[in-house]
Amino acid sequence: MRAPTSAVTRGLTLAAGLTLVLAACSSGGSGDNGKGGSHSLASCSAPGKADTCNSGDRKPGGTFTYTIEKNIQQWNVLDSNGNVFETGEVMSAVLPQVFVPQPDLSMKLNTDLVTSAQQTSDSPQTIVYKINPKAKWDDGTPISADDFIYYWRTMNGKDCPPPPSSDTSQTKGCLPFSTSGWDRIKSVTGSDGGKTVTMVMKKPYTDWKSLFGGGYGLYPAHVAEKVAGVPAGSADKMTGAQLTKGWQYFNKTPPTKYATAGAYKMTEWKDNDHATFVPDPKWYGKTKPTLKRLLFKVISDATQEPTALRNNEVQGIYPQPQVDLVSQIKSIPHVTYTIGSGLVWEHFDLNLHNPVIGKYKALRQAMFTAISVKDVIAKTVGQFDSKVKQLGSHNLVPGQPGYQDVVTPTGQGSGDLAKAKKYLTDAKFTGIGTALKTPDGKAVGPFNCRYTTGNAIRQSECQILQSSLHNLGIKVTIKPIGAADLGKVLTGHQYDIIVFAWVDGPTPTSNAQGIWSTGQSSNFGGYSNKQVDKLLADSVGQTDTAKAMSMLNQADKIMTDDAYVLPLYQKPTFFAVQDRFVGMRDNATIVGPPYNVQDWGLAK
Amino acid sequence: MLAYAVRRVLVSIPVLIASTFIVFLVVVNAGDPVANFATSRNPAPSKAAVAAFARHLHADQPVVQRYWNWIVGVLHGQWGPSVEPNLDIGHDLLTRFRVTVVLVVASMLVALVLAVVFGVYSAVRQYSASDYAITFAGFLFLAMPVFWFAVLLKQAGIWLNQQTGSTFLGTIGDRSPYLDVNTFGNQVSDRIGHLILPVITLALVSFASWTRYTRASMLEVLGSDYVRLARAKGIRRGKVLTHHALRTALIPLATVTALDVAQLLGGVVITETIFQWHGLGEMLVQSVSKVDVYRTMAWLLLSAAIVIVFNLIADLLYAVLDPRIRYD
Repeated sequence: MRAPTSAVTRGLTLAAGLTLVLAACSSGGSGDNGKGGSHSLASCSAPGKADTCNSGDRKPGGTFTYTIEKNIQQWNVLDSNGNVFETGEVMSAVLPQVFVPQPDLSMKLNTDLVTSAQQTSDSPQTIVYKINPKAKWDDGTPISADDFIYYWRTMNGKDCPPPPSSDTSQTKGCLPFSTSGWDRIKSVTGSDGGKTVTMVMKKPYTDWKSLFGGGYGLYPAHVAEKVAGVPAGSADKMTGAQLTKGWQYFNKTPPTKYATAGAYKMTEWKDNDHATFVPDPKWYGKTKPTLKRLLFKVISDATQEPTALRNNEVQGIYPQPQVDLVSQIKSIPHVTYTIGSGLVWEHFDLNLHNPVIGKYKALRQAMFTAISVKDVIAKTVGQFDSKVKQLGSHNLVPGQPGYQDVVTPTGQGSGDLAKAKKYLTDAKFTGIGTALKTPDGKAVGPFNCRYTTGNAIRQSECQILQSSLHNLGIKVTIKPIGAADLGKVLTGHQYDIIVFAWVDGPTPTSNAQGIWSTGQSSNFGGYSNKQVDKLLADSVGQTDTAKAMSMLNQADKIMTDDAYVLPLYQKPTFFAVQDRFVGMRDNATIVGPPYNVQDWGLAK
Repeated sequence: MLAYAVRRVLVSIPVLIASTFIVFLVVVNAGDPVANFATSRNPAPSKAAVAAFARHLHADQPVVQRYWNWIVGVLHGQWGPSVEPNLDIGHDLLTRFRVTVVLVVASMLVALVLAVVFGVYSAVRQYSASDYAITFAGFLFLAMPVFWFAVLLKQAGIWLNQQTGSTFLGTIGDRSPYLDVNTFGNQVSDRIGHLILPVITLALVSFASWTRYTRASMLEVLGSDYVRLARAKGIRRGKVLTHHALRTALIPLATVTALDVAQLLGGVVITETIFQWHGLGEMLVQSVSKVDVYRTMAWLLLSAAIVIVFNLIADLLYAVLDPRIRYD
């Protein structure tokens, strides 16, 4: 089975490449002759414009088809199986969120849903949400505290526990994508006729703005209650089994079949093909939708997206940018595009389970110092995005509150060979520049550098690393990872050096703890530092965000000194739409461009 | 003949079991979907979620037991769990089978008609300029990889649409998600518009080889004694060609066509990916890339069944078309 598979993969890869090359070559010339051609939305990358660029007056009508790259089998974005980017994009059009991640990476209060959300006390940390009186599900049921209580009880890991080990169907319990924050809540109560929600924490939680939103909207509690056979408004009394019924219903049921509360309403879901939305006449928000129809079309092969855009079968695409793909889009008339900097960041990881790499900090520091990130960028993503810079943090990206460059001052990623060699000399390594040996005479390497097969950018990154470490006397072999094997390689520690990407979510402190703290499931390389563990644990439980970010940066400095992971750059994002539409803009966070579908429309 | 057919079907059962077991072993060891699940989500799923996922896929059971459970399940209409949550593999297989059947049948019809027309013409006009031209085109299409040709066609289709100011020729999917004027006529037109490019892609490769078969077969028949006798008796050339020569000449083509169905299924993998048809080809690509063991097995079982059935049909066609052949 392997042989035909690889043949198919080779064929498809060739086809993909060919598509791009041919399309790039077949640019009708519109871009050159000034009669058409796409233009970059430069204003989107200008300071302060990320949230407002590509705005404009709209006229009624029009159909906009936006591309998603995965089919949706699981409709509950709160479930660990449903926590998929594409599902989040689609569901964000119909489910209300308290705070919505914005293109500038901030969290903006959704005043259509709540008029305010404020921390009213530090001890115990207390948050009060005032629900907008106009906010209603489209079956007329008011959005109330009951929806918040239902949300919390399904997510806290206790009221609706995971399926028992005897259950192979994953249907006899709730499997929330994360219980972080939810497990710190003491109570969620309603007052003022259900229009005021008070959340009291038993332990403070820094990222409280991510709760009840942050890319994960509220599901209608009254629908879950009806499914579970309990009276409406009784979310606080539902048993685990009753909560499970609602949870499983939302897992399997597309939102065509229950009440939603978005500017658009999903009217059709054709499995593996498309979702159709029309304006919801019951929409209570300030901005009224103007499109006649909004579609999310599944195109599972990103290399086919530009041709679909060129052929007007879709009007907006959001693929991972590649040099050829960007060139191809540039040649399409009447298409505007933007290259953004996202929350996904590329990095080299060292496997500390390797006895030599794990033992010698000086070796790791030397390795990271010998690599020139500038060179890496120039030979990869810099070819289509000149704005890409070395990332200086393990936890935050530029634009996020608290971002601090703690990496470049250390010289890591500078390509400073002399400094790298000095680390080794000081630590009494021998054979520097020829065949490196540890102070006790053991050979250093050869190490493997692993990347996902077919990813030309990561292959180049490994090649540059190979060349850089050769200058220190370390031999590196490049070993691709099968397309479906990344998980196995990471969890099995089957690498010495690996290049892949992390995604910063809306909860930087919880994220950091999950990746860097001792024994955490995403800490694949086996990093452990008690000081870091404490700082990260403390950063999660702050009521003062600035203080939490300061702790995060302190931990980051220690991690950088330990030289476990070298951040390279923020991966560029790429968003292209036909220029007859306005309101669409890149949102590199977890919600993607559809974060503001109510603003989308035909340009007047 | 019935006894022969039953015997062939019975013989194919152990072949199916052996092949599925070998493939099952290979697919199970091709990757670790549980590890992929654990590492591909952000934030990382809890240990409870990873454990539940592993149980769901039966990844905690020995391989032989998994295979046995799968075989028993298939006999009861249960195709096993997928890495895709909530995916009913049986329903998925059936839905995609329908999509692929449309593509394959349309391609075969186009290829057959063209192959017969050009093959006969080529044979009748042997060594003429048109014969050389058809021969050249046949070899050209044979040498041209499907993925290459599909990409060329797609670009040509888009260019044509741009010239006519329409989107008649679809490059994505088997139909448009919506029609502004949703009449029966528009639906048919839309389906045809989406069929043209992938059908040409898939048909031309088969056309190339089938034309060669038809030509060679026709030449052999045209040189046979009974055809010369017919001509000597004064029967018109056209009647000899259609009534006497063509029927005999089509016997090898009929069997080759049946045998080539498996090859077409291979071509469908690439064609469907490039044109984004959500059929069996796309199912295979997705299943293999996600180490979706039971979904891959479902695909394999269906493909194997198709190959066995069409091989049987090819054998039986010999007897139907050639009265001299009898199976006892």
